[in-house]
Amino acid sequence: MKVVVCVKQIPDPADPGALDPETRTLKRDVKLILDESDSYGVEMALQLVDAAGEGEVILVSMAPNGERSGLATALAMGAASAILISDPELVGSDALTTAKLLATAVKDQGADLIIAGSESSDGYTGVVPEQIAGVLDLPSVTAAKSIEVDGSSIKVQRQTDGGYDDVTCPLPAVVSVTAGVVEPRYPSFKGIMAAKNKPVEEKSAADLGFDASQVGWAGAGQEIIEVTDAPKRQAGEVIEDDGEAFTKIVAYLENMKVI
Amino acid sequence: MAATMFSSSLVDTADHHPELRSSVAGVAGKFGRKYFQDVVKRDAKPTELWEALAESGFLGVHIPTEYGGGGGGMGDYNIVIEETAAQGCPVLSLVIGSITAPIITHHGSEDMKDKWLPGIAAGNLRMSFAITEPDAGTNTHRITTTAKPNGDGWLLSGTKYYTSGVDEADSILVVARSGEADASGRHQLSLFIVAADAPGITCQDIPCVVQAAEKQFTVFFDDVELGPEALIGVEGNGLRQVFAGLNPERIAAAAINNGIARYGLETASQYAQDRVVWNNPIGAHQGVAHPLAAAYIGVQQARLMNARAAELYDAGSEEAGEVANMAKFAAADSSLVALDQSIQTLGGNGLALEYGLADLWFVARLHKTAPVSREMILNFVAQHSLGLPKSY
Ligand SMILES: Cc1cc2nc3c(=O)[nH]c(=O)nc-3n(C[C@H](O)[C@H](O)[C@H](O)COP(=O)(O)OP(=O)(O)OC[C@H]3O[C@@H](n4cnc5c(N)ncnc54)[C@H](O)[C@@H]3O)c2cc1C
Repeated sequence: MKVVVCVKQIPDPADPGALDPETRTLKRDVKLILDESDSYGVEMALQLVDAAGEGEVILVSMAPNGERSGLATALAMGAASAILISDPELVGSDALTTAKLLATAVKDQGADLIIAGSESSDGYTGVVPEQIAGVLDLPSVTAAKSIEVDGSSIKVQRQTDGGYDDVTCPLPAVVSVTAGVVEPRYPSFKGIMAAKNKPVEEKSAADLGFDASQVGWAGAGQEIIEVTDAPKRQAGEVIEDDGEAFTKIVAYLENMKVI
Repeated sequence: MAATMFSSSLVDTADHHPELRSSVAGVAGKFGRKYFQDVVKRDAKPTELWEALAESGFLGVHIPTEYGGGGGGMGDYNIVIEETAAQGCPVLSLVIGSITAPIITHHGSEDMKDKWLPGIAAGNLRMSFAITEPDAGTNTHRITTTAKPNGDGWLLSGTKYYTSGVDEADSILVVARSGEADASGRHQLSLFIVAADAPGITCQDIPCVVQAAEKQFTVFFDDVELGPEALIGVEGNGLRQVFAGLNPERIAAAAINNGIARYGLETASQYAQDRVVWNNPIGAHQGVAHPLAAAYIGVQQARLMNARAAELYDAGSEEAGEVANMAKFAAADSSLVALDQSIQTLGGNGLALEYGLADLWFVARLHKTAPVSREMILNFVAQHSLGLPKSY
């Protein structure tokens, strides 16, 4: 079983991020880490390969400046190798370009299954997995909370507002995984040391057959034209307790349909 | 898990160290201060934490891979211990593993390595270390526990005290006198691995104020029979051999204190951000902020020195001893300053068990006295680093 996991390396959310005032995009020239929301996909992939008793997990990531720190984490967790798409030309690429590049890198891997996180924790576009499926013309299942391989198809529990749907889907397929559905392992010491010698193949846009006009700012079909701060939280409503305050609170909660 | 405010780029000496730090912090963080306090309160052992560290291979990072370890060194073990303590879990048994494993690795027979190292790495074999005696504290030359020749082995008799963790141990690494005294009247020392349940051993608990899971014991050896396989390395070479373990022990002790200091300062800084008594958070008062900032600098200095000590030890440098001593000295002092200021920052809550600071005090304080006292480090530095006359 060969599983490809698309993982994003993002600025550490614990450090206050900054926007580039000119491009209105996140500054990514800091040290990057594995996006936590991708660690669930890596864990699921490792578990699937374990359950299959054979195979491997391959990572694909697009990141600036040849950044590998986040890949090192996923390799230390147990992935076998990685493909890193990194190229100064790619700065400014939008979601669709990203999906095309990732899909091109994935295509030659002969993957049985392609896993991605539902959305990244820095960009939140939440469309890349479906776009990869579109580019590769593969079936796409979103919001998976569990994946079980059954011969040449998978059974996926797909999270919904009310519970989950059971979905069956032929392989190969692209599945996006909901954050928090499995407990990602912490890398063991052996895993951390082994990761140092695992292959990371770096590819440029040209290596993947894209020219400069198709990627980066030039190839982007979208542009961020304005960024505004989220509105400040309004002051709450103060209810003076005259002995009857509870009726107002009950009415308020009923109005919100929480009771 | 909250991001740490302590920058480790200052102290990390290998490219995998940040990854190791975050993984150890993640594993230990699943347990954390409350778990550890509860274990100590119940007079229990942090078995679940120990097993989780073992499962990730963290207990044996400093043990060679051919004996089931991770093949790293004290640079890695320093991180394991510090990050575990920084999550509020100062596990003193980790310090013992820093003594026993290197001594066996460097001086043990093949059989001994096969028998003990994989178990220490896997966390299922425990070994105590007994050097201190009631009548020979700091002065190791006065050790009177003696191994008398007996057939092809020895009979071991004497008393050790403050031997930690004998209640959990499978064996005890004992420093004893053996053979004849030399011309100056000094006895040669030898190292033995003795089964903790061997006939002739009795133990007595020494109640201590240290709020840790490990207990201390007086251990009486009464004609305990030792076979030839019990000897580590060469008879009479014990003092030289034991140093393979004593320098790592200093690094490990310092690591505990650096972790405690981080736990204290992180708790206090958060509290100083949140707590408003007049109009501003208390951290806005320089009377609160500056002592915390100064304590942070002290802790970073100690961490830096300890990381260098570990790096020098791993490289086999002659100077590792001096640096390990100084790092332990620095860590003990700076952690007590940091913890005291952290307690102060929390006002009355600094003394409350709920905040988990004050009950770290004696664990940190321990390392001003043990494994080698502050005064003996100053003696060492005065004599060896500064060339001053020996006073004793
Ligand atoms: C909780 C705990 C756990 C321990 N665990 C272990 C263990 O697992 N195994 C083990 O073997 N030991 C252990 N010890 C013992 C510890 O290492 C010793 O207590 C320590 O080394 C000091 O030795 P001592 O108690 O004999 O002090 P002493 O040697 O009696 O010294 C008393 C005081 O005099 C000072 N002093 C002595 N000589 C000089 C001098 N020449 N110049 C200046 N000052 C001097 C010392 O610095 C100290 O302040 C433990 C101790 C404690 C408290």
